[in-house]
Formats: sequence, structure tokens, C-alpha cells
Amino acid sequence: MWNSMASGNEVRAPGKVDVICQSASVNHGRVCPVYVGTCGYSYTEWVDSGFYPEGTRSTEMLDLYSRVFSVVELNYTWYQMARADALTRMMDKAPSHMLFAAKLTRTMTHERADNWQEQLQRYRQGIAPLKNRLIAVLIQLPPYFDRSIANRTYLGALLDGLEDLPTAVEFRHPSWAVDPVFAELERRRVSLVAVDEPPLPDLFPFVDVVTNPELFYVRFHGRNREGWRSGNMQKKFDYNYSDEELRSWRDNYCHTMASRADRGVLFFNNHVGAQAPRNGKKLAALLAQNSGHCC
Amino acid sequence: MRQVFKERERTVLHFNVADFAVAVERVADCCLRNRPLIIAPFQAARAVVYDMSEEAYQDGVRKGMSLRQATRMCRGAALLPPREVLYQKAMKAFLKELQNYSPLIEAGQADGHFYVDVTGTHRLYGPAPDVGWRVRREVRTSLGINPIWTLGTSKLISKVASRVVKPVGEYIVSPGDEAAFLAPLAIDLLPGLSGRELERLQEFQLLTIGGLAKLSRHQLMVPFGERSYYLHAVSRGVDDSRVCCPVSGADSIDNAHSFEEDTNDHEEIESALADLVSRAGADLRQRKQVARRVGIWLRYSDGGQVVRQASSKRGTAEDFSLNKLALTALSRAWVRRTRIRYCRLVCDRLQRRSPQLPLFPELEQRQRGQRKVLGAMDSLRKRFGHEVIGVGRQYARENGAARSGHH
Repeated sequence: MWNSMASGNEVRAPGKVDVICQSASVNHGRVCPVYVGTCGYSYTEWVDSGFYPEGTRSTEMLDLYSRVFSVVELNYTWYQMARADALTRMMDKAPSHMLFAAKLTRTMTHERADNWQEQLQRYRQGIAPLKNRLIAVLIQLPPYFDRSIANRTYLGALLDGLEDLPTAVEFRHPSWAVDPVFAELERRRVSLVAVDEPPLPDLFPFVDVVTNPELFYVRFHGRNREGWRSGNMQKKFDYNYSDEELRSWRDNYCHTMASRADRGVLFFNNHVGAQAPRNGKKLAALLAQNSGHCC
Repeated sequence: MRQVFKERERTVLHFNVADFAVAVERVADCCLRNRPLIIAPFQAARAVVYDMSEEAYQDGVRKGMSLRQATRMCRGAALLPPREVLYQKAMKAFLKELQNYSPLIEAGQADGHFYVDVTGTHRLYGPAPDVGWRVRREVRTSLGINPIWTLGTSKLISKVASRVVKPVGEYIVSPGDEAAFLAPLAIDLLPGLSGRELERLQEFQLLTIGGLAKLSRHQLMVPFGERSYYLHAVSRGVDDSRVCCPVSGADSIDNAHSFEEDTNDHEEIESALADLVSRAGADLRQRKQVARRVGIWLRYSDGGQVVRQASSKRGTAEDFSLNKLALTALSRAWVRRTRIRYCRLVCDRLQRRSPQLPLFPELEQRQRGQRKVLGAMDSLRKRFGHEVIGVGRQYARENGAARSGHH
């Protein structure tokens, strides 16, 4: 598999599909580039599961990944503050077509520190090496982060601090699924993350609202109802989307969202057993089949 | 067909609770949280600092510094005596949390340090950064302490990373990034270097790890001799040492004794040691094992600690031979005139007792006699408890008998 991909060096952006808008809007016939990728790429498990060839070392993974996808969400910036030196080294090795989304560090989302403004400045400096290859900063908010006045104020301040960077917000609490929130995100040109997750109560629902005409952002977490609240990542994100589910998603949402934005990113987070890259490849193929062409 | 084993890239998490004793004391008494704290055995005449809080550290207080000097540097600090039992208890609770994620854990001695090898556990528990984060969250919730967690491909890398982020934080060193990560760091962040070696490196203007890494092994051989191998490897981030589990009950037998009052009386100390030896010997014989090494840990009244060992090629489970080894280790460890507060005996390098009989039994007559005595003592102890019988040297100074702990 890898040899055949390696020989295709002329392929400029694997995993990118030019979706031709088919809606009845003024955008009919317009092309929206949609990039499919995964949340993280450095998983030893993906070697065991056959996505990476046997014996692949972590240092080789980004290069191999970039032969299949052109965008990746950097997960580790959630666990630790982004560091410019480490990201510079990564960028030096990354193929030129790769784009990156970077998660905001947990000290500004899940475990908010008192000095979060200072942390935000450090984060901005840390991700600076991504330059124009930063597709978005992803603010993932915790399930308990509801639409209280204090939280709205905090989120507003956080978005102000990221104003000049492309930003996407993923809510987990359903109280944010209201029009005034979407309108405010639209005013700020911040992407609302559409989430595909199990149909459970108290979760933010899937909405195909596009709040930023420059970018729509979708995350596929899998639909594992039993594992979702297990507290174990290996259960929570253990889900394999069937072809039917992916086809249905494409037919119902992809073209609508693509018609409202200049470009889009679709990230698969069901990393267990390398289901994410497999599902990503499949969705890219389905998108290319239907309305566009895959690079 | 020949089976080929491929070595997996290693993933080692390091957890480090900065100022562990202070962190535990602050959990025990929340009033201590907002003020500088120095832990030292202040009853001792020439006490030295056992541990101190970050505030006291910022004021210049250091471990091993005389208490008098420390209190002059940090006048507002609260003073507490060390409570080792409490710190051991906290270590055990921390260890229990870690055991949910890996069986391969190396723990320090009541100092809040743990190495956890999570290589190959991803299928069960997910990616290693997530394990690090979860453990920290769980330990914070259940024990109230906030450990540093770092991730690297070896103990060396994760250890240096924890020194970089101290006193709080996390650091993930990506595989392949080891040398680049180490290069700009100050040379004293490398573990295992003696004060003399650091001085020598400074004489050569080798101030960063990267500077050291530029030198070849041959160049290092001239000033550092055999140590050049170690320096050459660590400066490049090479460390093959394994995460081992010294705390596991199967690997060592550990007994300790705290004296009622600090003492430097030979007879009293040797009698306490004989008691520890008899407990270790009984334990070994019951397990049908022999020990090839005996370690003595001495803690002086001023907080200073010394560890020394004695070993023999042939393992033993007999009190008489064990006592001989223990006395050798004691003579190596007991080099100061300061009184001793605590003594610990660790028998390790355990192996199964050989069932083979000696080739020349007539040479073993004395030993056979001793074995018979020990066998009889073991039977009595099994029935009536360990204290029911002992050898004379255990009872040399009755009033010196104190708290013995069997771990």
C-alpha cells in the first residue's frame, strides 16, 4: 500500500476533495475544497492495526500520514502548552501540503488557570511556527461548560484573545445550541464545530450551521453509546462508521455546508484500531465519487 | 521457522511530586498551604533540612542545609519534623493509582518519584499523554497532590523533562526529538553527574548538554575515563535502562527499625540489626529463597541518610550469614559520629534456594547444626509469633527495643 502511495509524489493534496456545490443557492456550481483528516496522527496502535506499515517509528508517521491526508488536528497541544521549538522541528519535517489545526491547551478550557491570559500569549507564541498552514485553533469546551453569564464572558474574552487567528469552537453542553450563539460566532467569523457523536441526552446536538464563511469544521467522534461515558478513551472512541452512515452524512450535510463556506475540514476522532483513517479515506472517496474530484 | 522479535519504541512516563514531604504535609494540614515550610528533625542538635517548600527554596533554603542557616534565610517558615510513615503511606496510595495503568512501575523512596513504562498499553488505556493527564487528575482528586508528569522514550528523557518543568507542569518529548530537546539545556539537568564531574565540565566551558554531545567518546575518555561512556550516551539522550520494580514484595525483603531515642551506641544498633536480620531470615526461609545482597539504610538524627550494601556470590537465608553481611554493610554505612534515628535492612537479589545437597557434608556440620536451630526457631515462631524466641544479640539492650516495622 505504502509503496504505491509513495510513488504518487505528484499527488499534491491527498484526502482533499473539491466538492461542487449542487444546492439551489447562488453558489450553485461553485467548488469548495474539503479536507479530510484525523484527530492526531501519532498512534502506535495504528501500526498494530495496519494503517502504518509494520515497524513504523513515531518519527516516520507524519510523512506516511501525509501520503493519505493533507490535514491533521494536533492533539498534544491540549495536553501540554504548545512549544515553538518542538513545532518548528515538526514543521521542518512536514511535507509542504500539510495543514494543521491545533487544539487549545486544557489550561484554557477544561482546567482553566488563573493566569489564562498569560497562557494564551504563550500558546500564541507556541503555535507561531504553523504560520499560514494553521487552518484553525480548536477551542474544545468541556461538557460542564454551560451557557452561564460567567462562561459567556470568559468565552468572549478568549475569542477576543484569538481574534486574528482562524478559530473554531466545539461545544459539549447543549445550552449553547441557540441562535444568538450562532449569530455571535457569525459576527466574529468563528467556525462552529459540527459534531457527530452518539445520540445521547445532554450532548450538544449535531447542527449543520455554518457560522464562518471561510471555514466549516466537522468532527466525527463515533457513535459508541455504551463507551461514551465510560471514562476510557479506548471505549469512547471505538466506533467504525459504516459506508451507509458515511454516505448518509455526505448526502444530507456535506453539500449544504460546502455551499456556505470557502473550504471545510472533516476530522475523524474514532482513533481506536485505526478506524479514523479508514473512515476518513472512505468518506473522501465517497465525496469524490458523488460530486467532486479527489486530489 | 525463525521468529523475529522487534523492539518496540519505548514510552516512559515520569511522575514527580516536587517537595513531596511538603506536599503531603500540606494535604494533612491545609493551614500550611499559604506559608513557607521547612521540614527538618529540629530536635537534633545539628539538624539539616529534609525538605522545603518552593517559597523556602526561593529564599535560598536547600536540602541538607543546616537548619540554623535555613531558618535564618527564611524567617517566616513553619517548621515540622519529618514523618516518614506518612510519606510512605502517600507513596503507596499514589502507586495504587498508577497500577491501574501499568504493571511496570519504579518507585523512589518516599520522594514522590515514579517511572511508569506504558509501552504497549495503548490498546487498553489509550495514548500515553492521555494516561499521564488522567493519572495527574486522579491523584489530584484522590490525594490532593499535583504531580509533574513527563513523557519520553526513556527514563533519562522523562527525568530531564521533569527537571525542566519543575515545580509544576508537564512535558512531552516526541520520539526522535531527544537530542534536540537536550541540546540547549544546562548540563546540571543531566541526572547521575557528581559534583566533581560538574566542576570538571565547567572547567572545560561545557555548559550545555549539546556542547557535551559534540565531543566524541575518545575526547571524553581523557578527562573522564570510564565515565566517558555514560557522559557520551546521556548527552545524546541514549538510555537503555529499564523501568524495574524494586518495591515489589517478590523482589526484596524490607524491614525497618526506628529508635525510641537517637543513638550511637554500637550494642543497641547491632541488636536492632540482629532483630531485623532474624525477621528477614525467617521470611526468606518461609519463601524458600536466598538473598545475595543485603543493604543498610541509616538515617542520622540531623536528617542525613546513607545507603550501603554487602553481597555474597552464594545466596543465603541463614541468620548467621545474613548478620555477617548486614554488619559489613553497617560498617560501610556508619561513618559519622552523629546519632542514628532509623535503620532499614533490605535483602534483595533473591533467588530460589537450591534443592541440591552439599557434596562434602562433613564440612557443613556446623552449618547443619545452625540450620537445625533455625528450623526449630521457625517452628516456634510460626506457632507463637516472631517475638517468642531469638538469638542473644537481639536482646543486648532491652531498653533499646523500639518500633520495628515490617514492610
